[in-house]
Amino acid sequence: MKLFVSTPPHIRAHEDTRSIMLDVIIALLPTTAAGIYFFGYRAAIVIAVSMLTAVLSEWIWQKLAKQTVRIGDLSALVTGLILGLNLPPTAPWWLACIGSVIAIILVKQLFGGIGHNFMNPAMAARGVLIVSWPALMTAYTLPAVFPGVDAVASATILGDGGFTANYMDMFIGNIPGSIGEVSKAAILIGLVYMLLRRVVSWRIPVIFVGVFALLSLIFGNDPLTAVLSGGVLFGAVFMATDYTTSPMTRLGQSIYAAGCGLMVALIRNFGVYPEGVTFAILLMNIVTPLIDKYLNPRLYGAKKGAKKNV
Amino acid sequence: MSDKKTARGVFVNGLLNENPTFNLVLGTCPTQAVTTSAINGIGMGAAATFVLLGSNVVISLLRNFIPNKVRIPAFIVIICAFVTMVQLLMQAFLPDLYSALGMFIPLIVVNCIILARAEAFASKNSVWLSAVDGVGMGLGFTLAITLIGCIREFFGNGTVFGINVLGGGYDPMLIMILAPGGFIVFGLILGIVNAITNKKKAKNMQEADA
Amino acid sequence: MHSSGEGKKQTKDVPIRAFVSDTVAIPMSMHIGAPSKPCVNKGDLVKRGQVIGEPVGPLGLPVHASISGEVVSVEERLLFGASPTMTVTIKNDFADEWVEGIKGLGNVETIDPSLVVDAVKNAGICGMGGAAFPTHVKLTVGEGKSCDTIIINGAECETYLTSDYRLMVEKPRRVVDGLRAVMRALNVYKGIIAIEDNKPKAISAMREAARGRDGVEVRVLRTKYPQGGEKQLIKALTGREVPSGKLPLDVHTIVINAATSAAIADAIIDGLPLTERITTVTGCVNAPANLQVRIGTMFEDIISACEGYSEEPGKIIAGGGMTGPCSPDDTMPITKGGGGIVVLGVKDAKSAPESPCIRCARCVQVCPMGLDPFKIKNFCDKGDLKGAQKNSVMECIMCGCCSYICPARRQLTAAFKEAKADIMQEARRQKQ
Repeated sequence: MKLFVSTPPHIRAHEDTRSIMLDVIIALLPTTAAGIYFFGYRAAIVIAVSMLTAVLSEWIWQKLAKQTVRIGDLSALVTGLILGLNLPPTAPWWLACIGSVIAIILVKQLFGGIGHNFMNPAMAARGVLIVSWPALMTAYTLPAVFPGVDAVASATILGDGGFTANYMDMFIGNIPGSIGEVSKAAILIGLVYMLLRRVVSWRIPVIFVGVFALLSLIFGNDPLTAVLSGGVLFGAVFMATDYTTSPMTRLGQSIYAAGCGLMVALIRNFGVYPEGVTFAILLMNIVTPLIDKYLNPRLYGAKKGAKKNV
Repeated sequence: MSDKKTARGVFVNGLLNENPTFNLVLGTCPTQAVTTSAINGIGMGAAATFVLLGSNVVISLLRNFIPNKVRIPAFIVIICAFVTMVQLLMQAFLPDLYSALGMFIPLIVVNCIILARAEAFASKNSVWLSAVDGVGMGLGFTLAITLIGCIREFFGNGTVFGINVLGGGYDPMLIMILAPGGFIVFGLILGIVNAITNKKKAKNMQEADA
Repeated sequence: MHSSGEGKKQTKDVPIRAFVSDTVAIPMSMHIGAPSKPCVNKGDLVKRGQVIGEPVGPLGLPVHASISGEVVSVEERLLFGASPTMTVTIKNDFADEWVEGIKGLGNVETIDPSLVVDAVKNAGICGMGGAAFPTHVKLTVGEGKSCDTIIINGAECETYLTSDYRLMVEKPRRVVDGLRAVMRALNVYKGIIAIEDNKPKAISAMREAARGRDGVEVRVLRTKYPQGGEKQLIKALTGREVPSGKLPLDVHTIVINAATSAAIADAIIDGLPLTERITTVTGCVNAPANLQVRIGTMFEDIISACEGYSEEPGKIIAGGGMTGPCSPDDTMPITKGGGGIVVLGVKDAKSAPESPCIRCARCVQVCPMGLDPFKIKNFCDKGDLKGAQKNSVMECIMCGCCSYICPARRQLTAAFKEAKADIMQEARRQKQ
């Protein structure tokens, strides 16, 4: 008889990296579908190119660097999908390509691959694209189903173009914007799915949006409009919750989420960019190691108020 | 390092083995700031080389007269003199480059490459070797920042030395000529240099073992 | 964390049945502390309950013959990968005759309390939940210490195991009697029987048995592994936390496993030494069961008693799925601490390869000790024992939660076990 011998535990939870990533993809499906419904086939092309490039760049990199090929864990696919959803539907195909290469090679693989990136790859790529091609990245069109025409309206509700929409349109997604961010309803369905599957906890999205809404109120904006416009909800649900770049402890996550909300409010109200979700999350990504260093979970049996060795 | 220094060894050392930018990682401030184009890189490099040569020679000449306790202020005064010369010359003959480099010309005074070479080399070596070291280090610096400048200009503007190489259809990647682009390119080159150096080291170790 | 009901379905409704095998192999080292010294020779005829190993050292325990018959060998055997252990093998004559002089002390409520601890020692009782710490040592309250609560651990949070559960359902009085004996011996007025809320039958049986007994109360705990860990149990029941490096007695509590408590009752009331225990046999066996087996019964005999393997075995675990050590083959004997035998098929036995940590924070959130498992694992991987120690790796209780939950399948618990052993070895080396 040949028996395996190993250190306990001998049983493992069913979730593995791949199944978690698959859950994220499933959670993104409503958003993707809504984006394609509102913006038509162009949106689908942008998303497809972005996903394909992401997976391909990861595969090529790992082959060239003679590493274990890990595209099977689906994390590159998630990055590509999220990046695609972060682009405007009018984005040229090469923009999606460059974004994916930056996300996978520059931000993820060069820092050690999955789990070692210091920023959310898709978010960082979007940041690079926004700074590099600001005009292309904000060339928002009205949704194809919008009554009227599909004329280029470079303004979102956040810009100064005087575009207005009612709450319902903003919630459903009948407004111009990036492919994934417009339909708040679809994003919330994704959130509910991820909460049910325990892929993410409520903490980061709720505190992020909550702090942001509160600050918007304080700064004299309509909090509902503020939350329903731009990428706050998409960022809070799908990007700020990225495991690798958010803190480990519950308190740390709360501080991180509150920081995200604060930064978005500050950038939107006082910064040069009309939208601040990208930079807010990137900034808090960078703060994450610091939060993790100083906020440890309370050790069992430790004296109250006693500090752990750091 | 061998005790006996040859002029050739010192020169190659500055240019490659101990490249101030990529190996010693000195003078990173101008490296980030002025490398938005290749021509800026060359201009900055030439100015720094001139100052390095001058200051190294003069400090080497005076190395037995400067009291140890006040050597840093003395070095700085000498460096300042050369920087002022460069600044005035540039202002007179290359006004465009002068305005492009702006603040970073007077700031050569505090460029740590120059003080580091004064302290680490010129104050201990002969005039001839110091002059060679100044030129070697200066050219190494020039080479490095021109390379960074080329890459950033190529991606960020579609040109190299102002010559359009990517055609009119290219939509430049603005970030490359902004601050983050400087960090990204510098970081990537440092990474490649480190990878090569580590590989060499590992090879040498293996050979030593065998 | 998962519900600790995992894997229990197969056996939780299977009543305890007795099984006696042809031979038993009784190791001299079934408890923590120096191995006992064999005091029988090959060819001797022994009776059940006869002392065959004499206690050695302060943590020593006597070992008793668990069947009557002939000693066929007294020799060293390799057990569980540790160094070879003296083992007495006895061939059964099936007379099942008890040794002379077995005499109980009678009703636990009326016995002389001062006799309890010695009776427990002489019966060879050690912790039957797995740790196998000599119980009489636990019950010796040292100078300057005091105890105000005795806790009976009936949580049985470990996966697959149902032996304590069946015991509490079928013999609840014995568990309560053991508790009362200890309470009287130590002059303690509070006894808590702790059971997880996924075992309603055990809860009602124990409540019924505890009715009218002085100071005994049944408390229901949330089902959450590792609820039955000593430190977690004390926290949940009393709110007290055992400080680092201290024992439960330092927070005035003693925790005793339910099976141990029943063994104490057997020793006090009937004078019976520890010669048998209930063990859960489950997983890939044809008839999963809760068997009452003699100490020293071979795994292969036990598995045949459960109608053999249902598929090719890939792994045999001595204990539960979260903490039980692996058995190298099926010729191991059941020991005093052996609450279960879990057979896994080849597919479940293979461990998935480690992949990179994705910082999902699940390990931090499940760690019952409040550690940063991912951080400690990084130090372990780098071989940085100092860093691991600084991040409290020594506090790890080896519950296995982090390894269980890790989606990257990282071997966290295994790394910590190794690091702890290395650190202790280093400390010993420096002492010398």
